[in-house]
Amino acid sequence: MAHLVMFYGRECPHCKKMLPLMDKLEQETPVRFERLEVWHDEKNADLMRSYREAIAPKCGQQLRVPTFINADTKDAMCGEVEFDKLKDWALQQG
Amino acid sequence: MKKRYWRCYVCNDIHYGVAPPELCPTCKVLNAYVEITAEEARKILGGGPDTAMATEDFRAAIERFTVGNEFEVNPDADKVNLLLTGIFENDKNHGFKFCPCRLRTKDWEEDLKLICPCNFPIHETYKGVKDGECWCGLFVRRK
Repeated sequence: MAHLVMFYGRECPHCKKMLPLMDKLEQETPVRFERLEVWHDEKNADLMRSYREAIAPKCGQQLRVPTFINADTKDAMCGEVEFDKLKDWALQQG
Repeated sequence: MKKRYWRCYVCNDIHYGVAPPELCPTCKVLNAYVEITAEEARKILGGGPDTAMATEDFRAAIERFTVGNEFEVNPDADKVNLLLTGIFENDKNHGFKFCPCRLRTKDWEEDLKLICPCNFPIHETYKGVKDGECWCGLFVRRK
């Protein structure tokens, strides 16, 4: 299984909307996400910064949350998306 | 072009920019600005009465900011309240009212762009978008 990470902010409304969709996806499929909060945990923030080259081109050249990233391939997707798009992306990661 | 600090010699207004204003917006005196150091600017700006801003003051400030603009504060009160909580958490923990929906890079110039309100009208989530909004959704295009 791919190592999938979701970087999120505790007070980010887009992230708040995505978290239940991820719960649903994990119930329906073998997909699993590591959820890492970045505004209140500097270690998580530094980890997200370390992926900047992979994330920025997909996120308006910025480090936006929510960001979903395959820690192995560095494939990234960011923003509030529909459940099906999240599911398609996650399943494509293998 | 590097931005510098300027002080009005009449009323002590502080300006941060590549050049000083010709006309002081406060005292209306022409050619009144002289360059000062960042440290001097900090002393002047920090030496006045308590400058801490309460959440409700900031809410009122951004409401006034939108008057006359093509955007408004999001009518979704729950979303706005969550964002304001994040903005003030970031102010307390990281020194500025950073957007809760992006992460600071630790590059000074880059991170200045994350202070709310940011220059969202140039962002792809707003520019040319019918129902455009800033990345976090605090500001939305007026209907």
